[in-house]
Amino acid sequence: MKKIISVILGAFIALNFSLSVVNAAAKEVRIAFFLEWATPNQEDKVKKAFDKAFGIPVKWTNFATGGEMTEAMLSGDIDISYSQGLTPFVNAVNAKAPIILVDIAVLYGMGGTTCVVSNSSRITKANASDLEGRKVAVPLGTMADYVFKETMRVVGADPSKMKVIDMNPEDGSAALVNGDVDMACLFGGTSIKKAEEAGKKMLTVKEAKDAGIAGIDITSVTNKFLRENPGMVRTFVEVTHEANARFNSGRSNMSVIAKDAAMDLAGTKNQMGGFEFPDADTMRSKYMNRGGILMNYLSVMGNMFATSENPALNDYSQVVTTRFLP
Amino acid sequence: MITRIFTLLIIVAVIGAILYGRRLIKTEKNDAVFGNPERAKGGTHWVIVGSCFLMFSWLYYSWDIAKSLYPDSANELCQVAKVNESLLSLKYLFPIEERQHKSTAIIKRENINIKKYIVEIQNSPDLENQDKEIFISLLNKTQLMIPTLTEEKYLETDIKHVINGLTNRIKQLTVSFPKDSYPPALSEEEENKRIEALKKQKGWGATGMEVPPLPETKTGLKFHKAAEELNSISDEFFEIRNHNTEYLRHSQEIFAEIKEYKNGLDDDQELEKTYIKEIKKLVRRIDYASIFPPNALDEMEESIRDFDVVQKEEQGAIRIKDVLLFPGGTIVNSGPTCAEDGPGRWLPKPSDTFRIFGELLRPSVGFKMIPMIWYEMMDVSKIVGFFLPDWIADILPGKYPVHNSAGKVEPNFKSKVLDIVTGEFKAFKIPVPTGHIWDSFLRVFLGLSLGIIFGIPLGIFMGLNRFAKGFFDPLVELYRPVPPLAWAPLIITVFGIDNVGKVFLLFMVSFSIMIISARAGASGTQLSKIHAAHSLGASRWQILRHVIFPNSLPEILTGIRVAVGMCWGTLVAAEFLAGTTGIGFVENVARKYMQYEVIWITIFVMGMLGLLFDITLRKIINKTIPWHGKG
Repeated sequence: MKKIISVILGAFIALNFSLSVVNAAAKEVRIAFFLEWATPNQEDKVKKAFDKAFGIPVKWTNFATGGEMTEAMLSGDIDISYSQGLTPFVNAVNAKAPIILVDIAVLYGMGGTTCVVSNSSRITKANASDLEGRKVAVPLGTMADYVFKETMRVVGADPSKMKVIDMNPEDGSAALVNGDVDMACLFGGTSIKKAEEAGKKMLTVKEAKDAGIAGIDITSVTNKFLRENPGMVRTFVEVTHEANARFNSGRSNMSVIAKDAAMDLAGTKNQMGGFEFPDADTMRSKYMNRGGILMNYLSVMGNMFATSENPALNDYSQVVTTRFLP
Repeated sequence: MITRIFTLLIIVAVIGAILYGRRLIKTEKNDAVFGNPERAKGGTHWVIVGSCFLMFSWLYYSWDIAKSLYPDSANELCQVAKVNESLLSLKYLFPIEERQHKSTAIIKRENINIKKYIVEIQNSPDLENQDKEIFISLLNKTQLMIPTLTEEKYLETDIKHVINGLTNRIKQLTVSFPKDSYPPALSEEEENKRIEALKKQKGWGATGMEVPPLPETKTGLKFHKAAEELNSISDEFFEIRNHNTEYLRHSQEIFAEIKEYKNGLDDDQELEKTYIKEIKKLVRRIDYASIFPPNALDEMEESIRDFDVVQKEEQGAIRIKDVLLFPGGTIVNSGPTCAEDGPGRWLPKPSDTFRIFGELLRPSVGFKMIPMIWYEMMDVSKIVGFFLPDWIADILPGKYPVHNSAGKVEPNFKSKVLDIVTGEFKAFKIPVPTGHIWDSFLRVFLGLSLGIIFGIPLGIFMGLNRFAKGFFDPLVELYRPVPPLAWAPLIITVFGIDNVGKVFLLFMVSFSIMIISARAGASGTQLSKIHAAHSLGASRWQILRHVIFPNSLPEILTGIRVAVGMCWGTLVAAEFLAGTTGIGFVENVARKYMQYEVIWITIFVMGMLGLLFDITLRKIINKTIPWHGKG
């Protein structure tokens, strides 16, 4: 009896302590990224320029969705999430996750995230309300979810009347090709390309742009990492901006990027053609300032995805900092 | 309140059960030696203790006990977290929670990096000797630059002054912090504003509020104010760089050399460009780091340590609550918000969980507009239409009616039959269950039933017949060992994302299990029993029905129990992949919006349903094969 009690007490105490053990000084920087999402700094990733710039090794981990990045950041396995969608970031900060937005990674039109309607459904922008009651594949809680809601607003269809099926882009494009769903909202070059074999974009890139639908991917950092290693956050943003500048002047090595993004060269060029990498000054003056574009997006999206348990924040500027921009 | 009573009940139950257990031992006969199965019989009181232990762990690790006993504690801990957060960057500089000074660590790391570069450059086959020399001299100069940062005599009085100023502010805070007069009283207007804001603030764990961030208690206010002061000190400190004239002379020289070298490079000298860039990064890294002479910050370190001691003392009861009632984590602060970190985040409180479960169960709310489990009225005609095949109408003599010149369609007998077989008529309505739970249940039930209906006869056939065994063996043995989920993507492609695909997947799972168990049961029948039946003149069918089938029943029923478990496992994963309804779907969506309560609810519901299936089967087993396990 005494033995049992002592074992239980021992286990109890051990559990109390083991749960609160944290890793001390950074021995490596752990960064999350996406495949099928070509960005200029992947060249630096391949060439180990980040490792050299940090002075310590970098561990890159690829994720399928931005929500998974948040989960990994919360469990302490990831320090920096590069190119996390704004939607999962907003969901995370609505749920009071201690992560901070330090940089805009990519601005993209509907080339990178879009809704594709199948040809067999005979639905276009003009009769989009026919989608009500039909099946639609959407990766919930991602940028594609946001694009879905915005697109439906533009074409005048009610998304709450559709049967939304939660599917990752790869599955969504397969379901569209099979005819299981009439529309699929997707991100990622390969998935969109596959979906377009059986359908057309609901809104063209230009139409979406005119309607004010744009995608923003950001760089987020855990509060702990930011507090303890501000220099490294700065270095990461700096190296990324250098890579962006290199891309903007057309000096990026596209084949290296394509290979690292797990795409073909033409697809990469096509995808990155729709990407925009603003420089630090533009971000400060146009996007991340009070009332800037990013801030507006944050509050619009924050309210769009708010739940009663995780309501929108009053002020999203508290989770954004421009301190680390070069 | 409920939590408190519940906790009390749990404790009473555990103590009662243990006391009862001790009394039981005394009254029991003592002749059961170790190894005697009698010793494991009975023990309901231990079941109570076990369940209570689980409940208590849940209450304790989800911090629900803390919430019910001290509803203020999260708010106070949030203020403490603010102080800790503001100290984090400062503390990180010193060996307070680390082993080394941050400066020491940086210098150590960069010295290693410089050495590595020198070796790398020296051994590089593609670099010209002349370039190598330039690089190495730059690196050596960088190494020589470090002492200008660490040398006491170069430290400028201005910077010393600023550091001293900040140190004094910390010291002052340390002195005034424990006093009752801290924080200084606000003006009436501000105080009213504060109270007004507090009134609007929801409590800990209220809908949409994880941890209330504004200080509610006197102690909390103290910490809140101190955190503000420390944040401003910390911000000012990190603005300081030890860029003295001696250092600037060195660094400017290095940067100038780098620039000059870079300008001299041709466009195609990629390798040289990369190296010079990396060296520049290294210099910039040292430039940005807060490196100070070894003893320059001693006083500041001391003041931070002192403050830390004082603030920990001031925490008093909060600290004890943190250790005892917030196991495995604490409240953390990030910017303006506070959040639970540790089990408090991912293990929702029982009270919240049940509240949200109650909400979800309300048919008008449900999850994503679909109730968890409810009923809807369905016309019987739909069922008739589903079961009667449409071709019944087609094979009747005659033709379907054509519209007449008056623009009307006169129904004839054939079209009336068609209406019936397609369910296009009105009959009475009956309630049918609907909702997420029902959908998942139905899928498992259908998959399992189909597996049983097809699997058992085939299994018995395979156990009795050489042809069947040989013919079907390769098929079954090839697909059986594959984890069912491996089939999922394929099946979704072929059968679609609707119920058909999922049911088929579950059918595949249960089918193979049923075949194996029925076959094992059939081939395991004792020959003597078959001989006996034969000699009594039983026909083949009678032997099958009365000897072989009852003999294989234990195996079959065990197989069904295994299949139920496997089906659940597969179903949830299949609903993860593509779904519009079902418990797996609910869990997957909840995950994306970080609704941990809902995730736990789905886990709980799945456990309960699995248990329900298992209990039902156990009842069936006891009823149908009472001889099983009794010799």
